[in-house]
Amino acid sequence: MRRIHLLATLALLLGVAGGQPGRTGLSEDLAKLVRGSGSSYGEAILKQTPDQALCTAHKNRLPADVVGQFIQEQRSAIKYPKDGRLMGDWKQGEAVFNTLARGNCFSCHFGSPLNVSGNVGPSLEKYGQRGTSEAVQRYTYEVIYNPWAYFPCTVMYRFGHNGLLTPEEVAHVVAYLLDPASDFNTKPALRR
Amino acid sequence: MLTKRKLHALFWVALLILGLGVALTQGDEEIDPYKEAERQRELFRQTSGGILPGELYAAEGEELFTRKRGPKNASLEACDFGLGPGKLEGAYTRMPRYFADTRKVEDLESRVVSCMVRLQGFKPEEVGRDEVKALVAYVASKSSEMPLQVVPKHPNEITLYNLGKELWYRRAGSRDMNCSICHDTYAGGRVRLSPVRSPRQGLSNEWPAYRFEADKLYTLEDRIAFCYESVGVHPPDFYSEPMIALSVYMLTEATKGKHKFTELPGFTR
Repeated sequence: MRRIHLLATLALLLGVAGGQPGRTGLSEDLAKLVRGSGSSYGEAILKQTPDQALCTAHKNRLPADVVGQFIQEQRSAIKYPKDGRLMGDWKQGEAVFNTLARGNCFSCHFGSPLNVSGNVGPSLEKYGQRGTSEAVQRYTYEVIYNPWAYFPCTVMYRFGHNGLLTPEEVAHVVAYLLDPASDFNTKPALRR
Repeated sequence: MLTKRKLHALFWVALLILGLGVALTQGDEEIDPYKEAERQRELFRQTSGGILPGELYAAEGEELFTRKRGPKNASLEACDFGLGPGKLEGAYTRMPRYFADTRKVEDLESRVVSCMVRLQGFKPEEVGRDEVKALVAYVASKSSEMPLQVVPKHPNEITLYNLGKELWYRRAGSRDMNCSICHDTYAGGRVRLSPVRSPRQGLSNEWPAYRFEADKLYTLEDRIAFCYESVGVHPPDFYSEPMIALSVYMLTEATKGKHKFTELPGFTR
């Protein structure tokens, strides 16, 4: 019995390993051109997670029969700060929101009193008007932690999911947006 | 019948409405990145005595092009950019293209390197990036404001177009990025102060360009590398197939959109 199990596991492992070359989604001759262009680029481009591959295959518009399971998977992987507080320190959130190499939020979203913004994302001007109910905090936290749990394949980075920000840092950004004392809510957004 | 006095009153009311309208639209005015670039360009012109930085790069490139250099002590005047040796007028409008002598699809940048290697005898690793950029600025300046004409026909050109398209749509890296999710989905918008354009809208038609924000000349490959860097993906090597493939894809689509080059070298944020 145990032997059969072992054999099955072995077969499964071999199957996965054997399937590797085809899993880039690129034909072998195109993948070769990518590999030859610098190792870190090749690695980053050829290595795709299953959800990235799904968004690629459907050109960012998931069909109805896959979207439900996709959202469920994204949502179930959300982690929260250890102390359970979804609203952290707005001052620390301000630095994350307004720094290119960290949150980079201002590049797309209007509303920061510190930076002139882009306009491809929805305006967040005076976001704190929504109040600080548990539901608002949770929605805001989860969208920042993993936007694909609400907007599959959107351009916004999955900050928590992909480890770009810790759960605590996400909570700081939530505070920057929601805390009534935050400069984001008390100072006017920078227009130009 | 309108009396003179009534006409007078009407005039003032009209002026008031006009003034209000101007005041209201002024307050709400969105930043127009193109107007802003034009303003910066004029400022540069005024302070430099009429010369734009891009023109200086092109002048430097011309000097490098005509001077005898390298182990073979030759100029680049015999370099064939696809229209015949030394024919520069409009050559950039049809690049990247397949070259029989190197059996490769080359963009202007890799073609410059090929010519420096084959005609002047430099080793590929001796070819400096700065001289390539200046030479690109010079050769490209001979296609200033001309219509783009990149149409893949040779099988190798088609292979690279397909690779470019795959890369354009491929989501990867810790920020889940690809080119399309910004450039197609949000075409017409702004990321910070930079306009976002799709390939069909003519993205790629202003390079090589002087970027006043960076105070440097950027070729199309430099600009692609900058895009990758800003989304946290290490860019492909200069002159590599992915660089040329993305160039073929964008310039082909801009050709389909019937776009012209801007003045070359361009002047942009």
